[in-house]
Amino acid sequence: MKQFIVRRVGYSLLSLFLLSVTIFLFVRVTGDPTTLLVEPGASPEDIENMRHQFGLDQPLWVQYWLFATSFVTGDLGQSFYYRTPVLELYFQRLPNSLQLAAVAMVLSLLIGIPSGILAAVRVGGFWDSAGKTFSLLGLSLPQFWVGLVLILFFSVYLGWLPSSGSGGILHLLMPAFTLGWYFAAAHMRLTRSSMLEVLDSEYVKLARLKGLPEALVIGKHALKNALIPVITLAGINLVVMINVAVVVETVFAWPGIGRLLYEGITFRDFPVVQCVVVLGGSMIIVVNLLVDILYAYIDPRIRLES
Amino acid sequence: MTAAKDDFAGSLESAADGGIGRRRLLALTALGLVAAPGAAWSAAPEGQLTWAVHFSLAPTWFDPAETPAMITPFLLLYALHDAMVKPMPGSAVAPCLAEAWKASPDGLAYEFTLRTGAKFHNGEPVTPEDVKFSFERYRGTSASLMKERVAAIETPDARTVRFVLKKPWPDFLTFYSSATGAGWIVPKKYVEQVGDDGFKKAPVGAGPFRFVSFTPGVELVVEAFDGYWRKPPPVKRLVFRVIPEEATRLAALKRGEVDLAYSIRGELADELKRTPGLTLKPVVIQGTFWLYFPDQWDAKSPWHDQRVREAARLAIDYKSISEALTLGYSPITNGIVPDSFDFYWKAPAAVHDMAKAKKLLAEAGHRNGFDAGDYYCDASYANLGEAVINNLQEAGIRVNLRPLERAAFFKSYAEKKLKNIIQGASGAFGNAATRLETFAVKGGAYAYGNYPEIDALFAEQATELDVAKRTAKLHRIQQIIHERSVYAPIWQLAFINGYGNRVGESGLGLIRGHAYSAPYEDVTIKKT
Repeated sequence: MKQFIVRRVGYSLLSLFLLSVTIFLFVRVTGDPTTLLVEPGASPEDIENMRHQFGLDQPLWVQYWLFATSFVTGDLGQSFYYRTPVLELYFQRLPNSLQLAAVAMVLSLLIGIPSGILAAVRVGGFWDSAGKTFSLLGLSLPQFWVGLVLILFFSVYLGWLPSSGSGGILHLLMPAFTLGWYFAAAHMRLTRSSMLEVLDSEYVKLARLKGLPEALVIGKHALKNALIPVITLAGINLVVMINVAVVVETVFAWPGIGRLLYEGITFRDFPVVQCVVVLGGSMIIVVNLLVDILYAYIDPRIRLES
Repeated sequence: MTAAKDDFAGSLESAADGGIGRRRLLALTALGLVAAPGAAWSAAPEGQLTWAVHFSLAPTWFDPAETPAMITPFLLLYALHDAMVKPMPGSAVAPCLAEAWKASPDGLAYEFTLRTGAKFHNGEPVTPEDVKFSFERYRGTSASLMKERVAAIETPDARTVRFVLKKPWPDFLTFYSSATGAGWIVPKKYVEQVGDDGFKKAPVGAGPFRFVSFTPGVELVVEAFDGYWRKPPPVKRLVFRVIPEEATRLAALKRGEVDLAYSIRGELADELKRTPGLTLKPVVIQGTFWLYFPDQWDAKSPWHDQRVREAARLAIDYKSISEALTLGYSPITNGIVPDSFDFYWKAPAAVHDMAKAKKLLAEAGHRNGFDAGDYYCDASYANLGEAVINNLQEAGIRVNLRPLERAAFFKSYAEKKLKNIIQGASGAFGNAATRLETFAVKGGAYAYGNYPEIDALFAEQATELDVAKRTAKLHRIQQIIHERSVYAPIWQLAFINGYGNRVGESGLGLIRGHAYSAPYEDVTIKKT
């Protein structure tokens, strides 16, 4: 077990290193950020000074070395745009993203799981078709469009909800629904297919043959097993919701990490993009590592095979 | 309130005692820097106005020392801080913390007299030491240029600051007042006490509003400063709320969640105009757009022929383009120098005459038109490029649109790698001289060639201390550029905003060329 954990931690560190190199190079391919931080036609001297200030006049490997050594000490650099430490910016935005992601996740599970179950139980029927249509819309409608339609209807037309910003539960409803719908659709589809698979298994057939009530068969015997992949996916989706709800946070002026990433990309604020991607990636790597360890702990075959 | 009135009276008295005199007082009154008795300052500040800002506010802009080469920070500087001299309604160089100044006859020194009664938000008076400290601490745009040219800053008494230059520099005041943040004053004692980072977290300035709170990515809240020397602001609280999405800003404005919204363009601007209770307010900024013909110095190029360049100018349907893209609010100034700049020369009105354009092309030997190569532009203004290209094609000038991502475009432009036609633009600060130096004079960062006559005139004006003579020379340069069709100017960009029916005075457009509401002490809530 110890050897398994050491090996997995090693893979995780390697993934993190590769991620940091990739994002470091990738953001720099997009071009020079200094021209976006001055007015068009600014003097070359001003542009050069800014490049010097940001360390962009150094060779690429020197820039990476500085980034990597600072990263190890917990310093992810200073934002070009905000001129403040990016880690400080990240943690200022994190509570907002956690709040939005938590509510969106609850909504997505509340909508996705029951509708997925219903679609699986009534396969081929009205509820199945309704569920499929719902999930198709959730996955295919662009989030910015959904967001703007909600704003027009609930804020401008009905006047029930604030159009944007943060501050209370009313501010949360529209962005959480917009973000949650997309994931609800994914959760619904997975719940449906997982339930169909479980409902077709021998032990469920046996439970039915034994004469157990249908609600008990579905609610107790089938659902528990069918939910395992859904919960695993929800865990990963939660990390995605926290870090890359770019469109929703921009449309609703929600001050989270997604909007920070959007601003970072817009202004080519390399340290911000690097910070969000590396920390977001780290979260996913850590979640995967924990899941791997947990699986190996529960099922000895996994650790023996690897 | 009484204290504020006393401060104001005190400053008036000192203006008179300090030898400013009746004429100067009249001039100040004309500039709106003093107000008539019984005007707005007698009422206590009340109410709140909320702006929807289209970008995230950065704490770096709370500190004038870090002012970059962009207009954005001035949105906040005008609220929190004050400058010795700065653009104000009716004047590009208006007395503020300095109530007067004079240049020495040899142009080697500028002496400023500080206004009595000017205070920082912590109650400390603004002193010459603060002025000196602010300049020395300044590290924003053109910092090295200014520090290279200033030999010393002297503070001979409690109200005088003297800048001694290494050699005459006629543009000193332009750079000190509007092209940089070097003239915006911070309290020395406080900055030394809290440090640079502490200052950004809790800025203290001498502006009309004091800092209350800042929530990154959400909003900045400021509150009226009763002790502001010009007048206490009539609005108690200003909130700058960040709403990056244009349609959401408009929705917030319609709902009354915000009172003013910046940057509403295209169809949304049209909708704003049609919405009862909302007012559309375009502001013409200092950003001029043009076509540049970099091959005009190559004898083999069709662009070498002045008639071809003139034909291109005549082919552009300026008015229709402005109407289609900015509801007609971007004026056709027909020059590369913004009309708000000092030494601006007003060119004859731009003419759109397709028949004449075709005739000129035929005379130049291009009866059936010609393949003019590529048309390079910043991709974010490709829509403008498409409109211009349609006009050029109609005249027979066949070009291919080559939009480049903004950074790549300006890099290639500056490195002089582009050919055929460049759709250029500049929003840089300065005056006509600084704009011409960059774009039209030999060695200019974006000048692909030069005309000796322009270079000679430019060299002469650079040391000319007589304002009238200097103006004449700079006007002549702009005239030559116009006559030779070195450029085909397109428009001066309008920045379109809107406000709701609670707003009395929005402050938009009060200061020429300034994109945002200012001065904030003039902004009012409508009386009901």
